[in-house]
Amino acid sequence: MAQLKEFLKQIISLPGLSGYEAPVREIVSRKWEPLVDEMRVSRLGSLEALKRGSGTGLKHTVLLAGHMDAIGLMVTQVTGRFLHVTSVGGVDPRVLPGQPVEVHGLKELRGVVVQPPDNLLADQKPGAPVGLDELFVDVGLEAEELAQLVHPGNIVSFGQMPLELGEELLAGHTMDDRTSVAAITYCLEILQKRIHSWDVWAVATVQEEVGIKGAFTSGFGLNPDIAIAIDVTHAKGPGTSEKSIADLGKGVVISQGPNIHPGLYKHIMKLVEELEFAHQMEVDPAHSGTDAIALQVTRGGRASMVLSIPLRYMHTPVEVVSMKDIRRTGRLLAEFITGLDEKSLDELSQEMSY
Amino acid sequence: MKELIKKLVEASGPSGFEGTVRNLIRDEISSFADELRVDSLGNLIVRKGTRAEGGKRIMMAGHMDEIGVMVTHIDENGYVRFTNIGGVNPLTCVGGRVRFLDGTVGVIMVELKDFAEFFNIKKFTLQDMYIDVGATSREDCPVKVGYVAAFDRPFEDLGNRLVSKAMDDRIATAVLAQALKDLKSTPNELYFVFTTQEEVGLRGATTSAYGIDPDIGIAVDVTPVLDTPSGKFNDVKLGKGPALKVMDRSLVVDPRILDWTVRTAEKQGIPYQYEVISAGGTDAGGINLTRAGVPSTCISVPTRYVHSPSEMVDYKDVLNAVKLVVALISQPVMLD
Repeated sequence: MAQLKEFLKQIISLPGLSGYEAPVREIVSRKWEPLVDEMRVSRLGSLEALKRGSGTGLKHTVLLAGHMDAIGLMVTQVTGRFLHVTSVGGVDPRVLPGQPVEVHGLKELRGVVVQPPDNLLADQKPGAPVGLDELFVDVGLEAEELAQLVHPGNIVSFGQMPLELGEELLAGHTMDDRTSVAAITYCLEILQKRIHSWDVWAVATVQEEVGIKGAFTSGFGLNPDIAIAIDVTHAKGPGTSEKSIADLGKGVVISQGPNIHPGLYKHIMKLVEELEFAHQMEVDPAHSGTDAIALQVTRGGRASMVLSIPLRYMHTPVEVVSMKDIRRTGRLLAEFITGLDEKSLDELSQEMSY
Repeated sequence: MKELIKKLVEASGPSGFEGTVRNLIRDEISSFADELRVDSLGNLIVRKGTRAEGGKRIMMAGHMDEIGVMVTHIDENGYVRFTNIGGVNPLTCVGGRVRFLDGTVGVIMVELKDFAEFFNIKKFTLQDMYIDVGATSREDCPVKVGYVAAFDRPFEDLGNRLVSKAMDDRIATAVLAQALKDLKSTPNELYFVFTTQEEVGLRGATTSAYGIDPDIGIAVDVTPVLDTPSGKFNDVKLGKGPALKVMDRSLVVDPRILDWTVRTAEKQGIPYQYEVISAGGTDAGGINLTRAGVPSTCISVPTRYVHSPSEMVDYKDVLNAVKLVVALISQPVMLD
C-alpha cells in the first residue's frame, strides 16, 4: 500500500503534457509490465495493456481507461528574457503566479511564473487576478541564451513537488488523472491473485485534456465490449455546493446520466451494496467530461460507465486526493471484473428496462 | 504559380458547394495523378505513387471550401436575410458584396434607422444585416431560401504579397497541386486530398481519412498572423517561411512528426517558423482522430486578416510551403 503512494508520487512528479506523454508512459509501462500479458503503444501514444482472462472461446473484453496526460503550458513567444505562454488543457491562470515550472527547451530549465506588479498594469484593480496574457515565465537567462535554448512550441510543465498531507492525503499537480492510473495499477495487482474470465485492457490514455482523443482512438482500436473510464471529480472544498458534490475520502463516486449505460449502472450499484462498499453518487446530465464519452460512441458504441475519485482544487498544481479513495476504486474495479462471466453481457442488455 | 492561385481563389465554393473548385483542381492535376476519385462527401482524392521499402501511406489535405452565407428569408420588399456558413465576422461584411452560385451579386448592409447611426454603430450581428440584390419584392428576388453565396473580392497581386478572399484555404489547394506537379519520385503511397466542409467542422477530412486509412496525415492550411499594429498573438510573421504547427485547439502535433518536419526543412534550407495558437483547428485535427488514430501535422501558410474578404499571404512563404511539402513526401518518413 505504501508502494502505491510511492508510485503515485513518482508519476505525478513527471512531465507528460497532452501530446507529450512519453516520460510518464515509460514509467507506467515498467510498472504494468509484470502485471499483464501483452503491452503496446497506440498510434496516438496511449499505453494499452492486456491481461488475459481465463475464459475459453470467444472472450469478452472490458476496457479500463485512465488518462495519463497532464495540463500545463506551452511557449508562444520568446520576448527578451521572458516567455509568453498559452495553456495546454484547462489551466486556471489565478493559481499560476509564483508557481515553479520546468521549461522543456533544448535543455530542461527550471523557472517560475511571474506577473507584473498590479500598479504597473493598465486598468488593473489592486489584488485582482491577471489573465494568462499578462503572465510570464522567467528562467533567469539573458535574452540571447534564452533565444538559443527555447522556441515557441516548447512545453512548460508544473514543477510543484508532491506533498503528503497527513497519512492519507496527497497534494500535487496532475492528480487529474494519474490517480486513476494508480487505481488501475492497484486493480491489476489485485487481479494477479484472482481468476477472471473476461480479458482486461488497461489503457493509460493520452490527450484527454485537449479533447478526449486517446480514448476515441483506443476505443476504436481495441473495440471492447464494455468500457469504464476512471477519472477524478470535484470534491467538497471552498466555494463548492454542500449538496451535489462528493466528499474527499468518502469513497468511489458512481455516475449516472446518458453517458452511463443503465445496465452497467445497476450492476455496479448491486455490487457496492452487496459488498457494503463506501461509495457516493454523482449526476452527469449530459457529457461526463471523461474518456467515457468517447468510449461510448467510437465504432458501433458500447456500454460505458464512469467511476470517479474525489479531488479538491482541480486543475491547479495542488490537487488533493485521498489514498483511501484510490485503493477503493482499484478494489471495486477488481471486484467488478472478477464478477464478469459469459452471461454478463446479455444481462447488461436486458437490464436496459427503462 | 500566381496564375493558378488567382484562378483558385476567385472560384466560388462555400462549404458543401465545392463543385466549381473541384472541377478546376481536377482539370489542373488529373494528368499528374495515378488514380483520381471523388468520394461521397465530395472530396477529390488523388493517389500518387506506391509504397516501396520504408514507405508509408501519407494523406495530405487542403480544403476546397470557403466561408460564405446562406439565405434564410426574403422579406416582402426583396431584402435577403442570411446566416453564416463557417466563421463569418459581421465587421467584415458591411459594405461588402457577395456573389451567389448562379452569379447574382448582392450588397451587404446593416439595418439603420437614420444615416448618422452608420458612423456610430458599434455592436451588430448577422441578424441585423441583410443582402440587397436589387430586387423590389419577394416575387422578383432572383435568389431563394437556401441559396448560397461567397464573398466577392478580386485577387490582387501586390508583388511579394497576395490578397484575396478564400486564401483560406485555396492557397493550400494551390500548394498541394503544385507539389504534385513538382514531385519527381516517392517511396510513399501518397494521397492528395482536396477536402470539403472544413469550415463547418473538418468533415471532409474526417471521412476521407477514414476511407484512406493513412499512417500519417499532413494538412496544409492558413494560420492567422498578427504581425500588425498592436498585434501580440504569437511570433509568426509573414514572409518568414511556412509555419510548422505545434498546437491549436484541434490538434497537438506528435513531437516525432514535428521533429521530422524541422529536420527536413533544415536539411533543405527552407525557412520555417513554429506556430502555437490558442484558437481554431484544421483538417489535421480531423485526420488525427480517425479510426485508431493517425499522427498528424499541419504546414501553415502565414496569413493576415483570416476570415475577412482580404486575406493576405506572402508569395515566398507559398513557394517555400510547396518546397517543404515536396521534400517531406519525397523521402521515407523517419520518426524516432
